[in-house]
Order: sequence, then C-alpha cells, then structure tokens
Amino acid sequence: MSAWHEIGLVTDIPRRGARCVATPFGRIAVFRTAEDHVFATEDRCPHKGGPLSQGIVHDSSVTCPLHNAVISLESGEMRGPDEGRVRVFKTRVDPLTRVIELSLAAEAAGIVEAAE
Amino acid sequence: MSAIMDPATATTRTFVEATEVWVPKDGRLVWSSGNYGALDAFAAVSEEKSFGKGEGLPGKAWDEARPVVLKAFDGSYFQRAEAARAAGLTSAVAVPVFAGSELKAVVVVLCADDDQRTGAIEVWCEANGLLMLDDGYYGAARHFEWVSQHTHFPPGQGLPGGVWAANAPMLMRDLGSGYRFIRADSAGKAGLTTGLGLPIAVPGRQTYVLTLLSARGTPIARRFELWNARSSRSGAASEAALADGICQREGPLWNDEHERRVAAWQGPIGEVLGTGLPLVKYDTALLTAGYASMVALPIYRDGTLAHVVAWYY
Amino acid sequence: MQRLVVIGAGMASGRVLETLFETDPDAFAVTLFNAEPRGNYNRIMLSPVLSGEKSFEEIVTHSDDWYGEHKVTCRFGEKVVAIDRARKVVVGEKGEVPYDRLIVATGSVPFIVPVEGRDLDGVITYRDLDDTNRMIEASGRPGSRAVVIGGGLLGLEAAAGLRLRGMEVTVLHLSGHLMDRQLDEAAGYLLRKDLEKRGIAVMTRASTERILGDTRVEAVELADGTRLEADLVVMAVGIRPSVEIARAAGLAVNRAIVVDAQMRTSDPDIYAVGECVEFNGTLFGLVAPLYEQAKVLANCLVGKPGSFSVRELSTKLKVTGCDLFSAGDFSVGEGREEIVLRDPSQGVYRRLVIENDRLVGAVMYGDTGDANWFFDLIRDGAPVAAMRETLIFGQSYQGAAPLDPMAAVAALPDDAEICGCNGVCKSKITGAITSKGLTSLDAVRVHTKASSSCGTCTGLVEQLMALTLGNAFNPQAVKPMCGCTDLGHADVRRLIVAKQLKSIPEVMQELEWKTSCGCAKCRPALNYYLIADWPGEYVDDDQSRFINERVHANIQKDGTYSVVPRMWGGITSAKELRAIADVADKFQIPTVKCTGGQRIDLLGVKKEDLPAVWADLNAAGMVSGAAYGKALRTVKTCVGTDWCRFGTQDSTGLGVRIEKFMWGSWTPAKVKMAVSGCPRNCAEATCKDVGVICTDAGYEIHFAGAAGLDIKGTEVLTQVKTEDEALEMIVALVQLYREQGHYLERIYKWLKRVGMESVRAAVVDDAEKRRFYFERFVKSQETAQRDPWADRASGGVASHEFRPMAEITFKEAAE
Repeated sequence: MSAWHEIGLVTDIPRRGARCVATPFGRIAVFRTAEDHVFATEDRCPHKGGPLSQGIVHDSSVTCPLHNAVISLESGEMRGPDEGRVRVFKTRVDPLTRVIELSLAAEAAGIVEAAE
Repeated sequence: MSAIMDPATATTRTFVEATEVWVPKDGRLVWSSGNYGALDAFAAVSEEKSFGKGEGLPGKAWDEARPVVLKAFDGSYFQRAEAARAAGLTSAVAVPVFAGSELKAVVVVLCADDDQRTGAIEVWCEANGLLMLDDGYYGAARHFEWVSQHTHFPPGQGLPGGVWAANAPMLMRDLGSGYRFIRADSAGKAGLTTGLGLPIAVPGRQTYVLTLLSARGTPIARRFELWNARSSRSGAASEAALADGICQREGPLWNDEHERRVAAWQGPIGEVLGTGLPLVKYDTALLTAGYASMVALPIYRDGTLAHVVAWYY
Repeated sequence: MQRLVVIGAGMASGRVLETLFETDPDAFAVTLFNAEPRGNYNRIMLSPVLSGEKSFEEIVTHSDDWYGEHKVTCRFGEKVVAIDRARKVVVGEKGEVPYDRLIVATGSVPFIVPVEGRDLDGVITYRDLDDTNRMIEASGRPGSRAVVIGGGLLGLEAAAGLRLRGMEVTVLHLSGHLMDRQLDEAAGYLLRKDLEKRGIAVMTRASTERILGDTRVEAVELADGTRLEADLVVMAVGIRPSVEIARAAGLAVNRAIVVDAQMRTSDPDIYAVGECVEFNGTLFGLVAPLYEQAKVLANCLVGKPGSFSVRELSTKLKVTGCDLFSAGDFSVGEGREEIVLRDPSQGVYRRLVIENDRLVGAVMYGDTGDANWFFDLIRDGAPVAAMRETLIFGQSYQGAAPLDPMAAVAALPDDAEICGCNGVCKSKITGAITSKGLTSLDAVRVHTKASSSCGTCTGLVEQLMALTLGNAFNPQAVKPMCGCTDLGHADVRRLIVAKQLKSIPEVMQELEWKTSCGCAKCRPALNYYLIADWPGEYVDDDQSRFINERVHANIQKDGTYSVVPRMWGGITSAKELRAIADVADKFQIPTVKCTGGQRIDLLGVKKEDLPAVWADLNAAGMVSGAAYGKALRTVKTCVGTDWCRFGTQDSTGLGVRIEKFMWGSWTPAKVKMAVSGCPRNCAEATCKDVGVICTDAGYEIHFAGAAGLDIKGTEVLTQVKTEDEALEMIVALVQLYREQGHYLERIYKWLKRVGMESVRAAVVDDAEKRRFYFERFVKSQETAQRDPWADRASGGVASHEFRPMAEITFKEAAE
C-alpha cells in the first residue's frame, strides 16, 4: 500500500501559513513554519471545531482563529491548560524538488478494516 | 601557473626598497622596526629620528589621519630628504594604523624611481558614494597610473570597491589576464599580477582603501598572507586563521578543509596579534618559507584587531 | 590487479581515489571517465575563481602529473553511453572498458527553471569551470547587467563575484528571504543588507515569468510584470542528481541512486558516491558528507570495514566579508528554547536553539568567530546547562563571570557621552539627578534632554539613575509589547520613526528582539505600525495578520465566513439589493442579516466561494465593507435634510462623503463613525469612535465614544462651520490616532492615554498641523484605497488562500 501522496510544493504554502488538502476523511490542514518545516493535522480545533488552517502559525504551533487555542503541530495537542488533541498526519519533503508528500496511512487502514 | 609568481624572476629587484614602522611614545612617533636592505646610511639616520604630530611624513599621516602618498622629497615636508637622495629613494607612502581613535603606529614604505620598476601602491578615498583615487605611486607604470586616475569604483566593484564594501582585506589573482580586473587591460600591459587590497581604518567616517599591486618583474612581495583574527566577541585577538594566501615557493596557502591557525605570540603573525602593532622583520631564520624579509600589518575594525595581512620578500 | 572504472571525476570520486592510493596503491588499475574535458578540481572554490580571488590553477585538486603517477587511465571529455552489467563493461563514446568494480560518481545537473527563453544565448547555469569562464567573459563588457535567479548559496556567490567583476547585478529569489533553507528571516535580512551595501540589488518573492530576447537574452520578466534588462542570466536555483546512466543500467534508483552504508548499489560490484546517491532517503549536496562517503567507499574496496551515516551539516557563504554560519536544526518547537543575541551597531545576530539541554541548531551573522565551537557542541550533543547563561557569547566567555552592566556604567568617566543625539555626558545626568532630585526617566529627559530624541540610550540613562539613586530608583513599569521585547508599544512606535525602520526583520534586529521572528502578539502590531508609518513603501506581510484581515471576511464559529459589502452612509439601491439576493441564492448563503452599522451581512459563506461571491458583488459596484478589519467600518447616518423635518444639515451626504474619503487605510483598532442630522441623534453618533452632530450653526465633532465592553459617551473635540472643515478635522484626528495609537487600542483608550489637550493642540488649535496630518492621511490613501475583494476576485492576489492545494480521492487514499 503506497502511503505517500504528493500534494504540492513547499512553496505553494506561504511561510507561517497553511493550505488545505481535501480528502475522503475530511479536510487536512498542511502548515509551513518559518523554518520550512511542514506539518499536517486535521483541520478542526479540538476546542470548538475551528479551522486551524486559518490560524496564525508561530514557531511550531498554530493559534486557532476562533478562540485562540494554541495547538502543537508536532503532537496535535493543545498547549497550556486546555486538554484535547487533533489528529496529526505524517509529511515528508523531498529536499531537492521540495515536493510535500502526505501520509494518510492511519486513516486509510481504518477504512479498509471497516470495509472488511 | 599565472597566479604563482614565476620563480625565474626571483633575482629581480623589489618594487619597495624599504619599510619602516613608527610607534607613538610620549606624544612623538619613534622608530620601532624597519627593513632598509643595503641602505645602511639611511637606516642609521632613520633609527635616530622621531616625529611630532604633523611633523615629517609619519607625523602628517598621524595628524591628518589618512594614508599619505609623497612622490617628491626635495622641498617637501619630508625630513630625511638628504639621506633619501643619497640612498636613491624618491617616493614614499605612509599608512597610519588606528584602533578606533587611538593611533597604534605609522607604516612607511619607501620606493626608488627608475624606468624599469612597475607596480602600484594606491590610496582610494570615498567621495559621493564612489571610491576615487586619492593618490598613488606607480613607478614606471605610467599608463596604468593615468587609467587609475580616471577610474572610480562603486561599492562592490573591483578590488578597491570590493574591499570597501566587504570592509575586509582581499587578495586578487591574475590582475592582467582576461577581464578579471576592472583596469585589467592596462594592468596586463604593466605586468601586474597579484593585488592586495586593505581597508584603512581612521577615526571618523571617511573610508580609505590601500591597494598594493604587484608586478611579475618587480614584485612588491613573493608571498602574501591574509589572516582573519575576528575569532570571538572576547575582544582581545588571541588567535587568527589563514583565510587566503599565495606564495611563489609554496603555491596556494589556503585550505578549505583545514584552516591554518596561529595563536598570539606564536611566530611573527602571533606577535602582531599579541602587540596589535605592525611589524617589519628581516634576515631571520624564523621567517616562513625561507624569505628574507616580511611586513605584517594589523587591520582594525571598530577599534578591534580584525585581520593581519603579511607580505614576504 | 583488479580493474576499477570510475564514471565522473568530481570531488567525491577524487577523494575515493586519494584514499585508495594511500591505503593500497596497487590494488586496482583505474580508468577514470569525465564528461568535462579536465580532471578533478575543487568545485566549491569556483566562486573565488569567479570573483578573481583565486586562480583556476589553485583549485585543481589532481593534476595530470598526479593521474600519471597513479597510473590512472584518464578518459576526459568523453561521455559514458551505458553500463552493460551483464558483460561488466562501461561503454564510452570512444569504446568499451571492462570492470571488476565500478564507481558511479555522475554527480548532479543544475535545475533549469522551466520558463520561456531558458534556451537563449546568455542564459547559463552555474556548475563548472566553463560556466565560470562564461560569466567572467560576460562581465568584461562594460556596463553589462546580470540577473541571478536563485538567492541560495550558489546564486549569491555568483552575484558577489559578478559584482566584483564590475557588473550591475540583481538577485531574484522566490522566497521571502535569502538563503531561506539555511538562514532564518533575521539573518536573511542582515545578509540582504550586506549584499545591497555591495551594490547588488535583491528582489525577494520574485517569480520569473519569462526570459526575453531574440537569440540573446535581453531581459527577464517577473510574474508581477517587472522587466529587468539583462545581458546575462545565471540560473542557480538548485541541482538534481544525475542518474540516467544508472537508471538505464537497471540499478535501483529512487530520487537518486540507492546505496547502502557501504555505498554499494543494488548491484554488488557497482558503487555510487557523491551527489548522485540516496542513502536512507537522504540526498547530499554539501561536500562534508561526500568526503565521508568517499572514505567509506575506498575502505570498502580494499576490504576494510566502515559504514556511512548522516551527520549534522553546517553552511558558510564564500563571499569575502560576509560572515554567516548556520548549522543543525534551528526551528522552534515544543521543548525547544532559543537564545537570541543582537548587536545592531555591529550588525551581529546570533541565535541558538536548545532542546533537552543540548544545542541542536545555530544561526550566526556578522560574527562567526565561535562557529566551530558551536558546531562541535551540536555534533557532539554535549550538555549545555552549566554554561546556559553565557553560551551565546561563545567559547571565550565560558568559565568567566558574566558581565555586570552596572559595573560597566559605573566605570564610565564623567565626561563619557551618554546621549549622542543631544550631546549629554554622564556627569550632567548624574548631576541633574542629585541636584534636582529627579526620580523618573521623564524628569531626566525634561531636565537634561538625554534619551529624549532617538531613545537608544534609554537603557544607559536608567542604569545611571539606578546607580545614582540606589533603591530609590523605581524604573517606570513600561508594559512590554510581548515576551519578545522589553520595549512598550510607545517606544517601538517612536523608534520605528526615529531610526527609519522599514521592515519587520529590521525592527527586530535594530530593537534587539529576544526571539528570532516574533509571536502572534507583536507581529500584527509591527505590521500595522510599519504600514501606518511608511505608506506606499512597506509591503504588507499577510502572514502577520489575523485570518479575517488576511482573507478580508469574518470567520464564523463553523469555519465559514461572513461577507459585508460597503453601503456608503447606509444608502443602498434596488440594484445592490438584487445583486445581494442573487449571490445569496447562487451560493446558498444560509443567513442574510442587517447589521448595527446599516448594512447587510451574508453569513455562512464557504471559504472557497469567497472570490466568486466578491466577483459578483464587485460586478454590481460594491466593494469590501472592511467589517473584518482594524480600519474604518461604517459611517452610520440619519436621513438629515433630505427627508427629515428636523434635519439641520445634509447628514447623509456628509456621511457618504466621509466614508468615501476615508475607507481603505488601516487603523490601530476598528473605527466606527456616525453623522446625525440634528441633536436628536438618530444615528447614535455620541457612542462612536468619531461622531458628528449637525446643528443649525454647523457641525459638532465628537470622538472617543464606546458601546461595547465599555460604554462611554463621546467627548466634543470642537465645532466647525462647514462640511469641508468637518471633513478635514475628522481626517486629521484619525491620522493622529493612526500615528499614535497602540495596536488594538480603540480611540477612547488612546485619548485617555494622551489626553484631550494634546489632541486639540495637534488638530484643533493649529491649522498648519491639522493640514499636515490631513495630508499624511491623503498620502496613505494613495496606496490603501484599493478594494481587496477586487484584487482577490480576479485570482491575482493570494489565490492560494481560497483553494485546497490538493485533493486526494477515495481511490488514491485506499490504494
């Protein structure tokens, strides 16, 4: 099972910004940090479902545009006193071509299981 | 091997006849070190001299806080004119070494004019965002002198503009070949090969760049070294790394994998790092690669020793 | 003797041969192919050859003599056509060579930007000596111009070299800062400044559209339409591994030739080394790991053990006088902590990133003296807790007591100049403190003028006060903007103007920010200050804005948006209403509601529909209502003399006029206005940020009301007789607020801070000053009055915001 999907170039996402990828499992937010690290999470804040892809990206966190919840892009966990986490997806970047690849492995595995 | 100077010319005369270092002591400049070759009488006169601020050539460089080129001694403020005439010396360039506003030393190079020796010692000065030739001594390289007088350099262009913009010494190769040097055509005809450019720090905002352009036949030096002493924020320069260098006997001196380093007080370069003063040494077995004489000059930036440049003959 | 064939005489394979001949000179008879008509030279030193600081002879690694001495059969200038693995022969253009072992060292090829005109004469890449010589030749034509595409290591070295050779050079870089893969934004800013000092023009976010010319290059055209004349175009955007021969021979090739830790390819007799290999998914472009690979490979050939592993890398730029260094991973994340040191007077920036008590990354600019020491700390993973406090100052500070700034100030002589702007020395300040009993910074400023101009010496003055007053000194608690700085909003605003700071990285460097790129609190504030202070000059940084201002719509709780078109003064028409109704139908907008500001809100618009919604509203003549922005929102009006029997003036007309005049420019916080046609105040002007009450005698200008969390009636600023005067007064007032307000500070809070007296002095009492503020606002409007919807509806601006970057279908996902 090929788990990696090419979704575009690092430069398609503004620095300290995010774009979305539409998938059958819902929208995934793909973030690019100031240092060009790329992260992917589901595009739903664990607090009240805000679209994280619309937040302000700072260090390796995003601040949700709705109520300023701060979510770690690495772990998906909310920072500070709040509890909750979003699902994170693996990404990798080809160092030469700068193509971002996204893995839906966990999601897809779940689907196959359900179908069996 | 154009950049490595041709060993066959090793017996030719040098462009510079004598080099001396003057340091301040009790408000006057006194003789510190010098190399006069065979000019013993001139040496004897010089070693006894001292100059107040504004007196003679060293005192003028100190007072005016700028490099000074003097191309005729007779009737000038040059105090050793008689001894110089006897020694055949005709021109001199005095370079003040300032650490911030403090004068550390004045270096004077003396040349003998004839119609064979070519080379260039130039002083460039910033005016309206461009570097213009302040003055220069060119020996027999008359055409090149004329071209230089009619050339100016924007920041980043050519050896003077490059040194100015980088605020660091630079060593250029193959001045006369191809298009590699802005005054290349004329430089090629004058036989100029290697160019050393130095930022000369003076109090105030004025920018000066000194260039030494060495010709194949009558080289200023046969070995050039460029040491980077900007080691850390600690201020005191305790160590330097060889950033660039070229030697007629040993070829390229730089190594991009293993930097050659020298600590303070270790050898002549280490002595400059330790004292912060320029140095002229000759006839000593300690000198690198068997050269008979050397000049090492500290380059200050923002009041601290940033580089040491050395040339050997 | 076994036969060893090497394809490619580059730095990696050269090091293999060196190591091999050192260990066992007689093990192999070597044949060396090279497509270039010369042997191995130090490719990374081509930049100094280009600049004239080295000659080619100096960078030759292996001379003809060396090859002869080691009996290497050189086939230089000959391309390899194929590898026949079945027969174990390498097929060259001029014949076959059998091998027992084969090394593929084909290196990489430059990446060519796929734009029109890339094949024109004068468009070159930067890879080998021939390219270098072409550049040197091009630079020989007086006044010639070069455009370098790519602001990475190679591109910048090419630019500096070409400049030194006398060319006019422009560097184009796609990303927001130079060397973005090695440097952070702050270091990138300093590098840019340094290059500009060398006369090199730098354009970031510059996308090359096409290269123009008949047969020779004449110009480069950018995506934004800019045209740059060029006699030479150097493409230096990157490299790709050269793997065609290996692939054709059936070797395992992923992005490059796949090798194991012994540099063996999928064929056990064939090795690969250098930029053409892929190890553990990693590709290699810098020289250090290539040498490491070479050593492992050479040892492997003679049966000595060894294995290659990926290590930390560091980068330096070979441009004389440009001191920069980066190593490791310097991104900030959870569990990571950064230490930043900035010295604006020396152009120094240092940043260290620490994780689990280990140094993991370092970026340095301007002073790289301790680079090797930091690099060793990163590579060795040594614990740094013991030297945490002084780590950033470098090796020579370790073990020494940290500097006491107070002792340094105490040691200053009495005549030491403290305030350069006003020429105030130490003794004058300390004298004034004791003789006049001054206890506050403001008092010292008033009495001595020290620290009253640019304010750079504020810290020194405060230290002098602490020194003189001892415990009696209680520094005024200025609330810092955020954790990234000790400066408050007022100081930052003052210094942006005094020091002419014109970009976010510049502000952060010059004002010694403690973080590398700020946070969600300071970035939007700085972005606003720069827009307000340098209209037309500063380029708005979208990524420093909150989402509403970035997409020009209001985000709702479900992630959809609300869209509010402007209705000038609350006036609309059947045409506009019809367009709104059509949009609501077409995009199935669930809620349409009247707002408190006399306009219509379309709620529940999907983000991807926004550009199309705007296009339809634009078509009906409507523009963005800025209902999302820190900007002029609405000018609410009553019907005034047009219809109302009590109306004293044309309040609707004035409202429309104000709104049309003032929409567009950003303000510290939102600005709501209203114009009531008589003192009955139907437009509720007395709780707005700015309000006008019309009377028989003219216009009463109110401001500083609030009707939100706080409720506050307005203050009366003044009364004027004519509509023109009213407009000028209001505009000047808002401009004063734009220049003085702290980010997110509403007008009523601003007034509370600065006092009515100062506002009246600036805009009421002094007609000249009023005119000055009015004109500054007009200047700002020249660039600000652009409908953001129109820009985006056409797809030209920020189109990335509104569509997904990719879609993965169910089939793809399940595969």
